[in-house]
Amino acid sequence: MQKFIDHCCEKCTHTRENPCKDFIHCCIDGPICHENPSCSLKRQDIIKKVALNDRFVIC
Amino acid sequence: MYEKHLMICGATGCLSSGSNLVEEALVEELEKHGMRDKYRIIMGGCPGFCEVGPIIVIYPDEVFYCRLKPKDMPELVEKHLMEGEIVERFLYKGPDVDVPARFYDTIPFYAKQKFNVLRNSGLIDPENIDEYIMRGGYRAFARALAMEPIAICDEVKEAGLRGRGGAGFSTGLKWEFTNKAPGLKKYVVCNADEGDPGAFMDRSILEGDPHAILEGMLICGRAIGADEGYIYCRAEYPLAISRLKIAIRQAEEYGLLGDNILGYGFNFKLNIKEGAGAFVCGEETALLASIEGKRGMPRPRPPFPAQSGLFGKPTTINNVETFANVPLILKEGGALDFASVGTEGSKGTKVFALAGKVRNTGLCEVPMGITIREIIYDVGGGIKRGKDFKAVQAGGPSGGCIPAEQIDLPIDYDSLNKAGAIMGSGGLVVMDEGTCMVDLARYFLSFTQKESCGKCTPCREGTKRMLEILDRISEGTGIPEDLDTLDSLAASIKDSSLCGLGQTCPNPVLSTIRYFREEYEEHINDKFCRAGICKELFTYWIDQEKCTGCTACARVCPVNAIKGEKKEAHDIEQDLCTRCGSCVEKCPQDCILVVPQGREADVTN
Repeated sequence: MQKFIDHCCEKCTHTRENPCKDFIHCCIDGPICHENPSCSLKRQDIIKKVALNDRFVIC
Repeated sequence: MYEKHLMICGATGCLSSGSNLVEEALVEELEKHGMRDKYRIIMGGCPGFCEVGPIIVIYPDEVFYCRLKPKDMPELVEKHLMEGEIVERFLYKGPDVDVPARFYDTIPFYAKQKFNVLRNSGLIDPENIDEYIMRGGYRAFARALAMEPIAICDEVKEAGLRGRGGAGFSTGLKWEFTNKAPGLKKYVVCNADEGDPGAFMDRSILEGDPHAILEGMLICGRAIGADEGYIYCRAEYPLAISRLKIAIRQAEEYGLLGDNILGYGFNFKLNIKEGAGAFVCGEETALLASIEGKRGMPRPRPPFPAQSGLFGKPTTINNVETFANVPLILKEGGALDFASVGTEGSKGTKVFALAGKVRNTGLCEVPMGITIREIIYDVGGGIKRGKDFKAVQAGGPSGGCIPAEQIDLPIDYDSLNKAGAIMGSGGLVVMDEGTCMVDLARYFLSFTQKESCGKCTPCREGTKRMLEILDRISEGTGIPEDLDTLDSLAASIKDSSLCGLGQTCPNPVLSTIRYFREEYEEHINDKFCRAGICKELFTYWIDQEKCTGCTACARVCPVNAIKGEKKEAHDIEQDLCTRCGSCVEKCPQDCILVVPQGREADVTN
């Protein structure tokens, strides 16, 4: 998962054609539709790469 | 992961002072040390302080380096990045700080600012949608998708947002009109045709945070029932246009533009229309005509665009800064937060382009209601070279001039209107005692006269006649009746011009006559320009008592009109002098006097 639009695993189905209502919240707080610490870490890795400091992310 | 993030201002102001060369030198230096991969370098948005550019802000260390040059990069890399030492000589220094300031929180320019619209500028990579999402981006849109459209209009009304493009009309009310207008096809239009001389607020937002505009437009589309939008941006803003195109492509990829957005059945398509730079295309009906492929000329209203706008369909038009405020209002609890800042009639913040004779030029975002004094002396750092503040031109060429006596006037829509100025898009040109108010009025009127589209007679002919009179006054051939004629012409143009540009273009003349009538009378009756600007109406003389014979004036004089021996008082040959003012700028003793034509130096002071 390099970008938020990439799927964390096969359980994520968000695409332009098959949109998920929770997509935006899922980018930071996800995964929302399933529980998987590894999927959550993948999102945090994207954030860690560019966050300037610990106040950078606003939820 | 990166060890540090180096955010370089990549906005047009810093680019013009060489930030791209600084970036190249930085990359080269890092590569030389084999350290390139350890650091993330972003040519980001504008931190606002253009006066001290090029700027690099280093995170997570929170160090603000300014006035950088490519040759400084080896030292910055070696000392800061390799040895972990702050390089004091690159920190902000000035008469307003006792010790070099390390970060935003200790630089006086930022002390009274509040970043709403510029919340992400300089903090994110404007070409990365993920970073916008990390900063809370698109959450307000996701919330709006789950709301009833009219409830969105109500929240924007409750927040008290007024259009930031000029007239200050209630944004929520405007949206409600379009929402209630009959028709299946409706449009959202973003006016990014920022044309006031010296104004670059919108460009900075577009370059630094393009997704904020997209989100604001999407929310508007949802609120009014539109499925298509246009961003009308002048072609002179290539970086803004490039970043908008990237942002649109990313939003489409993420399913935030297109059909059935986020599964709510809402469709929205966004187009960019590049404008050719005509000032009149900032007027909403002229802008719509230009998008339609017609000549950019205004048309009478009603019907207003909310009823019959683009291609005859109901249309909401807001400017860049207005749309950038919208996501803040639509986030959970955002309307109340937004309304808690500002004054009773003017909520939120306003971005101003601070220019002219002030020490700290650049962009500033301040709460509505801040006084002119606070902007000029606290944010702006006071007047350059310790001179006296004379006036400020607010609102660009359609705005008005506010004199030093009103320095404690709060800046909000209603106070500015009462003072004879307007908020406009947010240009603030500060003037000192060396500014001639007749010349200032002439400058702004010549701008609007040249930019008049010519469709209506009052603007086309009236501005020409007014300009002829101002030219006459500046050249010393004005007559006492001229002031009444100017007043009368201005009133006619205001009352009968077709569009807002014509209706407001006499403002600089009217406000300078209102507050500086004696200067006009001096030009007309005494044939004297006390500021030393109108070349026909003064001569320069050197104060023989004060002159130390340093030769600075003689060396800079382009026509060798200044004679004198070293360490002896100099003199100006009046026949040769072109009154270019170079000597005045250069003289360290302020001993060049402005004297009425035909009089000797000792009659003035």
